[in-house]
Formats: sequence, structure tokens, C-alpha cells
Amino acid sequence: MIVADKKPIEEIIEEIKNHEKILILGCNECVTVCEAGGKKEVGVMASALRMYFLNQGQEVKIDEKTLERQCDHEYLEEIRDVMDQYDAVVSLACGVGVQFMAEKYHTTPIYPGVNTCFLGVTEERGVWTERCQACGECILARTGGICPVSRCAKRLLNGPCGGATKGKCEINKELDCAWQLIIDRLKALGKMDDYEKITPIKDWSTERAGGPRKVVREDVQQ
Amino acid sequence: MVNHPRYIDPVKCTGCGECAMHCPVAAINEINKGLDDRRAAYIEYPQAVPLAYAIDFDACIGCGLCENMCMAKAIKYDDTERETAVKVGSVILSTGSQAYDPSDLDYLGYGKYPNVVTSEGFERILCAGGPYLGHVMRPLDREEPKSIAWLQCIGSRDINRCGNGYCSSVCCMYAIKEAMIAKEHIHADVDCAIFNMDMRTFGKDYEKYFLRARDNEDIRFVKARAHTITEIPETGDLILQYADEAGQMKEEIFSMVVLSVGLKIPDSSVDLARRLRIELNKYNFVNTGSFTPVATSRPGIYTCGVFQGPKDIPGSITEASAAACLAGTDVAEARGEDIEVIEIPEEMDVTKEEPRIGVFVCNCGINIGGIVDVTSVQEYAGTLPYVVFTDQNLFTCSQDTQDKIKEIVIEHKLNRVVVASCTPKTHEGMFMDTLEACGLNKYLFEMANIRNQCSWVHPNNPTAATEKSKDLVRMAVARVATLKSLHEKKIPVNQRALIIGGGVAGMNAALSLADQGFPVTIVEKEEKLGGMANRLTTTIEGADVEIYLEELIQKVTSHPQVEVLPRSLIVNFSGFQGNFTTEILVGPGMYERKIDHGVVILATGAVEYRPKEFLYGQDQRVVTQIELSERLKEKGAQDLNRVVMIQCIGSRNKENPNCSKVCCQSAIKNALHIKKLQPDAQIFILYRDIRTYGFLEDYYTEARKLGVLFFRFNSEDPPVVESSEAGVMVTFKDNILDRSLRVSADLLALSSGMVAEDTEELASIVKLARTEDGYFMEDHVKLKPVDMATEGIFVCGTAHSPKLLPESIAQALAAASRATTYLSKDQLTLSAVTAWVNPELCASCLICVRSCPYGVPVINEDGISEIDEALCHGCGVCAAECPAKAIELNWYEDNQILSKVDALLEGVL
Repeated sequence: MIVADKKPIEEIIEEIKNHEKILILGCNECVTVCEAGGKKEVGVMASALRMYFLNQGQEVKIDEKTLERQCDHEYLEEIRDVMDQYDAVVSLACGVGVQFMAEKYHTTPIYPGVNTCFLGVTEERGVWTERCQACGECILARTGGICPVSRCAKRLLNGPCGGATKGKCEINKELDCAWQLIIDRLKALGKMDDYEKITPIKDWSTERAGGPRKVVREDVQQ
Repeated sequence: MVNHPRYIDPVKCTGCGECAMHCPVAAINEINKGLDDRRAAYIEYPQAVPLAYAIDFDACIGCGLCENMCMAKAIKYDDTERETAVKVGSVILSTGSQAYDPSDLDYLGYGKYPNVVTSEGFERILCAGGPYLGHVMRPLDREEPKSIAWLQCIGSRDINRCGNGYCSSVCCMYAIKEAMIAKEHIHADVDCAIFNMDMRTFGKDYEKYFLRARDNEDIRFVKARAHTITEIPETGDLILQYADEAGQMKEEIFSMVVLSVGLKIPDSSVDLARRLRIELNKYNFVNTGSFTPVATSRPGIYTCGVFQGPKDIPGSITEASAAACLAGTDVAEARGEDIEVIEIPEEMDVTKEEPRIGVFVCNCGINIGGIVDVTSVQEYAGTLPYVVFTDQNLFTCSQDTQDKIKEIVIEHKLNRVVVASCTPKTHEGMFMDTLEACGLNKYLFEMANIRNQCSWVHPNNPTAATEKSKDLVRMAVARVATLKSLHEKKIPVNQRALIIGGGVAGMNAALSLADQGFPVTIVEKEEKLGGMANRLTTTIEGADVEIYLEELIQKVTSHPQVEVLPRSLIVNFSGFQGNFTTEILVGPGMYERKIDHGVVILATGAVEYRPKEFLYGQDQRVVTQIELSERLKEKGAQDLNRVVMIQCIGSRNKENPNCSKVCCQSAIKNALHIKKLQPDAQIFILYRDIRTYGFLEDYYTEARKLGVLFFRFNSEDPPVVESSEAGVMVTFKDNILDRSLRVSADLLALSSGMVAEDTEELASIVKLARTEDGYFMEDHVKLKPVDMATEGIFVCGTAHSPKLLPESIAQALAAASRATTYLSKDQLTLSAVTAWVNPELCASCLICVRSCPYGVPVINEDGISEIDEALCHGCGVCAAECPAKAIELNWYEDNQILSKVDALLEGVL
């Protein structure tokens, strides 16, 4: 899931304070699950903004809406009829949704309502951690299912650096050394031989380094 | 039966309090232990049932003021004693106890020094409804005490001054509780010290509470019994003199002393027992048997609570259910015969109608009307949207007003009702029944509490109280207009009970249900029934466990209604109250069986802890107490000249902080047995606190009389055990000599604690909560000691916590009794106030699954959260937490709640 975190309300107020008709737009996917941008958060943010503008004596219309997803045309089309009622939208979707909204509704300012953080998991309610950096060429098969690209601070591909102490990373004592995890897991799998194999230089062009990426699947294209 | 006159009719009395307010007579307030006064017209305490006033005729001067003031016309000066005869099939004696009166113990100064109070008095001082409204003050000068001492065992464990040889069982815990609350209530630092002989915190998780008090709250525990209290006249402070453990004389000064008084049977109960011809023991508690813990000497008469023996709240509640079980079994054939069936007319369908709201505003005598301008509230209600009828009543809750409301609903075609009166907590159900009785769905109702929230809290500002009443009525009207009819689902009940565990508890529960005609299946993992009791010989009272167990197994296996599945394992579990299905692998062939049943009783039991300490398993001469009992039975004690016992093995330590409750009495039981067989044998019991609660204290006294030697040790400085050819060498400290002693023992008995049976897998299959040490966690530790949080599942015996046989049997009967409340019905009515999921909105985020305190929501095969209405408790946590707003709670839907907020803020914004 894409994990997002709430943006400070002050930041959002700063962006929208000169608008008069605002739509707060939630997304019922990842940001709902990570409790940053679902229907409930839309309601909470809308109420907070209404209170703020009421206190300022500013007449601002704030409406709420939550779409199934903000990364598909069809769902975004659902609000086409009402878009002319607003002079700004705060999208609580991830950065993907905000941009797709902006592309679709070219003349309306779309402001981000959350900070999009990473691709990760819910460790427990209220705690999310990163697992994937979408490098475009998955090596998990060789690393015991633990990703050194996303979980090693240095993205090392051939074992730990000298900074690991007692299984923890040198940048933060709380942080597990990814390579310690990989070795533990390879041991558990009885595949320590794999650890000895040298991973060749990774093709980073499929990662962000190669510029914006695109996936085209002719087999499913209509 | 004789009903003493109350002089105020409890049916007419509305509890408004006008009589007491105008009563000119002051009398001693007994409930507050004389720390303040009350009127002659009074309610004993705010929780009294019925919550109706009465007149203390001894104090009343007959002035007639209350009669003049009572608008409900409830005063009845000519009330007389009434006699009633009732024909019953069984009787339960639950007359309870009174606290010991320490006035005769002159060395304590109670009654002489104002700052010496009893624990009962202190309890009232702590209470918001008490003499000082919950502010902790000492009686002499109403100053906050700087230091408080509790003296334990006042009127208990004292054959010297008061003749009460028993332990009252509850005082150690309540003293800790009082000290903890005092610390919480007093703003400055307060020194709390509890002077005790032994701290007896033997109940479930009680030891943890004691540790918290000692280690986190700095409450001091001093091992001493104070011999003299004297007052410093200038300050009212008290000098406490005592001898410490080493025998040194000590003196300490406290601002206040609390006497932890014990429990005692009142003379009236003794007299009642005599008239009913039931036997009492030498301390006037009811004589009950080791295996018949709630039966009196007279068939058909049962007892429970402290009249049976000193005990705490959960113990009393458990026994109450146990007594109800036996009393009910005697008359099981007649079940349901005298029940009055209330005819309910067919419900009107109002779904398509516009709201037509009726508002009834209550004066509550002058309780509301004396402050709030009820007429103007009524007029205001008439101006609100959809309101088509308004009325005001002197007492809206009276029977004649109920009848009037029914007529009005029909005459004015009302389809929503608002009552503006008192609290829904006490009256909502009654008004909802009124709606139901005239064919209106009972959920089309709302209350505005203009008494508690207006007239009571704003008596000095009638205008504001009236305005606030109008606000509350406007909010109630707004909500009622949004309400929808809700229907309570009825589900059939399967009358079979499934009992997990065939030990003494499981078998007793099974027999109790089977004797009432309910079919029972016992699932036992072992080949043989009986559980841990198979290893026990006799109880401390001398009752033969083997014979009892043999008879019990015989009864169970020959009962036509009981099916026993030995060597069986539960592998799957589903369903809800009244309709469970359990899959079982039945031995020895391990074939699979599916059993449908209505209730579950958990009786999985516990085992003796297998010591790792003190050379157990390495030296043959080191045994556990159960092994010692077996040995004494088989081999006697001829070869035992010197025996050492060490207490708290596997209990009260880091791994298991709790007390195992039974080991002190096991040690004393075996010590007495050895002394009987071999009077010259030397026995040393090394202990931390001897916890022979209740009548077990007599055996402790007897052991000391017979020369059994007791030495206290600290957990930080435990005895040292070494093996040698001459014997097991045990080294420990004698506190009086202040030096180490070494004893060469023929045998070392380890008083090893109890460990819950391994139920991890079962708990995850049936979804049951357990404590850290693996005992099942009941719904409420004090008030629901037998029910699990899931409806229809009950727990008993040592699966709940360590306990003795009679306690296990009582809890087994209690579990059967609670189960009967389900099994005796053909169908169960489920609450309509449950949560439901809108599948369109659900993001399957799992937040409801994670936040439900009862583990009800599941993500179903379609990937959508599903909430079983039969399991839902209606708490609303999921509805509040759902980030997709996909969950609504019936009767508390978002718009229904927000409509009140909107109505309140209408025109403000």
C-alpha cells in the first residue's frame, strides 16, 4: 500500500485561504487504510477548516466527497458535474491522485492534503514501515525475500557495510540492518550458499534514475 | 415474612427528596458511621433499591411537614407491619455480614479518639456520597491527613480479645484499595502504612495489585500488630506502638488510624438460622460441606455470600449463582409456570409517514418544576418542527401517566415520542415499553434529561435552567425525527451444553445442567475423568476426595443426559449464543464429530507447578505437597523425624507474580497429617505470608499449637538447600534471633503453585481472552466472575484462577446457573442496537477488526467487513473508528447524532 501521513492543517489553510468554494476530496484506497485520507479524515479536515474560517469571519464553502480511487479516469469523472462549483480542491489521495486530478481538471487548483511517504505495510495500527522502492527490477528471490534496496540505508547489494552493530543500522539504533535480516532468513531457509553469490551491478535505469517510467502491456490493451 | 413499615409508600415515592429537605429532625447517619447526620425521612444510601424514601420512626417527631410537602401523596403515617406467607420450593439465605465493632478493644481508642476510624468509616470518607463528599479529611479537625496507618486483623485472627479465630479474607485487599484511593484523593504527599501479620492477597491477580501498591505507590507494609494507640491531645495525632519482626519496640506518629475491621455474622442471622433449624459453625457462619459448598444442613435451603464464610465480591456473586442453580434445580419442573405473559399489539408501520412527534415534559413533583419553568418548555416544544402534541405531567413515570401516554399516542396518531424528564439510565426502558404497548416501535423514542442536567445542577439559576431545558428538548426532537423503527431479532436456542474439561468443575457443571433436563456433552482430553482431583487425597477438613471423585464420575457416566467424549480435542468452533457448532476429534480413533450446542462451559483446569527450584528432581527427598500427600497416604510418616516445607514455589516470583492460593493450606494440611501420624516429628514451614483465609486460619492455629514451626523469609533472601547424605540441608534466617539456622531434613516438601492448563490453542480456536498466566479472563473481574466476554460462554474452576475444591464446585454450579439463563429459553432476543457495514464503502482496511474489543468483525470472502449481529455488543467503537465511514451503529447513526449537535448550535453559527 502507498502510505501517507497527515499534513499539518496550518499548511493546508495557507494554501487555500484565498479560495471561497473548496472541495475536500478523499480516496477510498490506500490512504483510507492508512487513516490519512478516507471519508472520515475528509470529514475531520472539513470540520477543522469550517471552524477556522468561521473564526476568521470568512465565508468559505467547504464540501466533502470521497471517491473510490483517484488514480483512475472513471472515478475522477464522477465529479465532473460538480467541479464548476469549486474554485479549489484539496485532495487527500496520495501524490498520484493529486496529479491525476490536476491533469483532469486543468483549470482548478488541486492542493495536496497529505504527505505521501512510501510503499509499506501496517506493522500494527498506527505504525507503518517501508518495504518497497519500486526499483523496477525485483531481486527479492535472491535476498531471502528481504529487500536491501528499500531497507538498507546504503542500498547495498552484496552484504552489510561496516556500520552494522548487533544487527542494527548505524544511522539509527532502532533500525534493523537489512543484511542481518537477509542473512538470518537465508540461514532459516538453508540457503546460505546464495549469500556467497556475487550480485552483479544492478540496472538502475528501471529505477527513478532512468527518468519517469511507464509500463505498457499490449496483452491487456484494448 | 414480616415487612416492617416504611411510612412512605415505595410505589408512589418518586425519590424527589422533598420530604428529607423539609424534615426538621436530625438523626445519626449510620451508613456514614456517625460521621454526619441525616433526616428522619431518608434514603439509606444513593444506590438503594428501591430508590424510595422511608421514615425513621424512632427519630420522627410527627410534625407532618413531609406529608404536606409530598406531591406524590406517598407519606403514610399509619403504615403498619405486614405479614405475608409465600409458598416456595427452595430458599436461599444471603443475609450477609456486618463489620466487627471494635469499641470493646480499648487499646485501639476507637470511639475515644476521633481520628481513629474503622475501615467502613474510611470507605465512607473516600466516597463522593459520604460525609465529606469524597474529600479525605480526618474527623477531628477536617484537615487532610498527612499520614494514615491501617491496622489489619481487627476482629479477625484474634482469639485473645474477641474470639474470632477466622480470617475475614477481604481486609488486606480493601486496606490496599483504601490506601491507593487515599493517595489519589489527597493532593499533598501522604504516607500510607499497612500494619499486618500476613498480607493475604490471594485472589485472581490480587498479588499484582499488592505489588503495584508497594512498588509504584510507595505504600508501606509493616509486619506488626500494634498494641497501643494513644492520642497527642494538642494535635489529635496518634502514637502507634508496636513490636517489629525482630522484637524491637517501635513508635510512630500518624494523623489518622484506620482499623481494618473483619466480617461478622449479625445476631439477627443467627436467630434466623435457629428458626429455620440450620446448623451454624462455631463462628456462626452456615455449616456447609467440602463438596456441597452452598447447601445448608437442611435440604432445600441454600446459602451464599458471607453468611457461608468470609469472602469478597466475586466470590459472593459466584456463590449466589451457585445457590440459584441448586434452588432452581429443585423446582426445575415448574420452570416458567408463574410467568406473566405481556400481550404486545401488532406494530404500526410508520416508515412512510411524516414524523408526528409528541413531547411530554415532566415536573417530577417540584424536582424539575421547582426550578425549570415547565410550562414554557412545553410551549416551546410545541413550536418545534414535526411536533404535533405537547403535555406536561406531575410525574411522567407514574402508572396513570403511562396509560395516558398510550391513549394520546393513538388519539393523535403520534409516531415519535420525546419525554423530557430524568435520566434514560433508569427510565428509558419503561417508556420504551409504553410505546411498544400501544403498537409503536420502541426505538422511535428519545429522552431529554432536564432533571439531572438542568434543575439539579442549576438550582440557583432558574432562567438558565429553563433555557437549557429548551435546548435539550430541541435536540431530542431533532434526533427523534431521524429515528427509524428497529426490530430485535429472535434466534432459537439449542438446549445442549458443551463442557470443555471433565474435572471436578466440569463434571459438577454437567450434572447440574443434566439434572435440570438439559443434554450435556463433556469433552475431556485425557482418557479418564477427574482432572487434577485424581491426584488429591483429602481436603483439609478431612473429606475424602477419592471417594467423592469416584461417586461423581459414576453419576456423570451413568446419567442419561450426559455424553462424555474422552481423549478428545476441539479443532473448530463457530456460531454465537444459543447456536454454537464445535468440531471435535474424538479418541481413540480421532474421528471427527460436529456438535451443535447453545452454551459453552470452560472447565479446563490447572496442574501443579513442576518445580525447577531447590533440587527437585535431583534429590529423591525433595517432593511437592501433592506428592507428600500421596506418600503419607501410602507409606505413612514413621521415617519422618524432621520435615521442612518451603512456600511460594513457582508463585509470587518474576515468572508468575500471582499467588496460587492453595499452597499455604496444602502445607498445613500435610503438616497436621504428619503430626497426627508422628507427633514427635519436627516440622519447619518457611513462608513469606501465610494465607490461610477464612476458616482455614483455624488449621494454621492448630498447627502452631501442635508445635509446627513457622519462619518468614524474604523473597530476596530465600532459603538455601543442599544435598547431603545425612539429609537435605536447609539454611534459612530466623528473624527473632537475627541469625541463620540450618536444618537437616529427612524430607523437603515444596509448596508448588498452580499452573493453568495449556489452553493457547483452544483460546485461539474459540477466541477467548486469557490473563498473562494463561487463566481465562472473565467479562468483569468483580461483577461477572463466571461469564466470558462472549455471550453464552462461561468459565469455572481452576481454568478461571487457582482455587480450592469447594470453590471450584461453587463456581461450576454458578456456571451451570448462568448457562441455564440461556438454555431455559426457547429463543433469545438480540439487541437491535448493533453495527452494520455498508459494503459499497468498505475499504477492508481491517481497522474495525483490530479495534473491536470483542473481536466480532471479520473480512468475509468478498473482501468486505462483516459484523455478526448476534455477536455485536453495540459499543460503537468500529463505527467511530472506520476511516471509510462504512459502519453505522443502529439507533446511533451519524446523522442521528449530528442532528442533535446541529439542533443545539442552530442559530448560533
